[in-house]
Amino acid sequence: MRVKVAVFWGCCILASQYAYEMSVREVLPKLGVELVDLREALCCGDPVRSVNDFAANYLSARVLALANLTGLPNLLVPCNRCHFTISEAKRAVERDEKVREKIVGMLKEEGLEYNPNIKVWHVIDLLHDCVGLKSVGKAVVKPLKGLKLASHVGCQIIRYSDLGRVDDAENPRKMDELIRATDAESVDYNEKLDCCGSHLMLSHPDTALSLAGGKVKAVQGLCVDGLVVSCPDCGLMFDSKQKEAGTTVGAKLNLPVLYLTQLLGLALNIEQEKLGLQLNQSPVDQLLSKVSA
Amino acid sequence: MGLTDLMSMAKPNLESREKILRKLRGRELINCFQCIKCTSGCTALKLLELKPHEIEKLVNFGFVDELAASDIIWTCVTCLKCVQRCPQKASPYHVIVALRNLAVEREAKVPEAFMKAVSQILETGLAEAYQKVTTRKMEVCDRESLKLPKIPAPKEGFQAVFLKALEER
Ligand code: SF4
Ligand code: SF4
Repeated sequence: MRVKVAVFWGCCILASQYAYEMSVREVLPKLGVELVDLREALCCGDPVRSVNDFAANYLSARVLALANLTGLPNLLVPCNRCHFTISEAKRAVERDEKVREKIVGMLKEEGLEYNPNIKVWHVIDLLHDCVGLKSVGKAVVKPLKGLKLASHVGCQIIRYSDLGRVDDAENPRKMDELIRATDAESVDYNEKLDCCGSHLMLSHPDTALSLAGGKVKAVQGLCVDGLVVSCPDCGLMFDSKQKEAGTTVGAKLNLPVLYLTQLLGLALNIEQEKLGLQLNQSPVDQLLSKVSA
Repeated sequence: MGLTDLMSMAKPNLESREKILRKLRGRELINCFQCIKCTSGCTALKLLELKPHEIEKLVNFGFVDELAASDIIWTCVTCLKCVQRCPQKASPYHVIVALRNLAVEREAKVPEAFMKAVSQILETGLAEAYQKVTTRKMEVCDRESLKLPKIPAPKEGFQAVFLKALEER
């Protein structure tokens, strides 16, 4: 199967979580998904939501209008937060006539057009539902047998169900199935649905770090080889800020954390540098030596 | 002093309550029957003592002005568990967002980072500035050295329209 999709990165990936972007750009084309960047880099509106709901919806609608310029009906949004913000905006624009009229008019001022038919995907459902587990499994050239991993799917791509989300809200399986497609093991654990805390970095950073630290500590206790994430915010909290998070919960944390696309890239035998694995701040070398052994 | 104690001295304001209901556009706040399912799973309960069922109750009673001026509305982590699990579709998260918007309108205490993000977007289109990062071997990298493409900032017309969007209530 080959499919061409537009891709919207949001802020966090473009501004700092480069490993996620690099690994998505490497891995997806190898699984038959061609990526087309939007004309401009833009915020989805997430931090604006707390300030002005309408302006957040406008930004998200503008993202969809930029996607419309590519002529492609599918938009990949690899960030959980952007995925939620855009989904909420879509719902508001489609359900509320007044909002729709205003936003369509504002977009027109820039010569842009809102297209309600653009389907929004995350990496997880694009790979699981569109590419398919079978194709992913077939593309694996270096099975990751022996790796025991924990998955963290995050909050905003699974809740709330009425909005139409990527996976089940209370028992998400798709990410685990993708991990298993590489022959690695994905374990279930009590804290699986616990939040990374990233939103609180804006108002209560210490609490945000405690939430992240608490979860990493719990996963570390499972004696797994690593924690797999698929959202730049979660990556930021569990990987980039793992040391700080450890200090706030009084624990020495040394859990390898990597993106799902980095893991898939390893199974596709893509060079580690191309997957941005040199950028992870958590001790992924432990895991990498196990993979190359 | 807890949130509820604080309210014992306040007077309900039904006009402000109407404002929140309008912002919620039909979400069923009024149907909350105080089952506390939201609070029992709230991510911010343990560390920051956020109790979404109390927020629901206080808005229903009309203590909106007090909530909009309070720090408690800025403790929500946006995990959305309360929206998912509420049997009455009373959406505590959405109520909190509406209260935050009202706090901004009233120029109440708003954590600085939110306003900073808005001005950054006005300036560059993104809420964050491009960062230099280091590898585990302490080599400094940026988008260019990592061979990541440059994606242009929004065209000139964007700023004026976004400013207009920010005026909407
Ligand atoms: S908001 Fe929903 S979950 Fe929370 S107390 Fe009210 S009815 Fe129960
Ligand atoms: S969205 Fe906010 S209020 Fe609702 S459960 Fe999560 S932290 Fe609590």
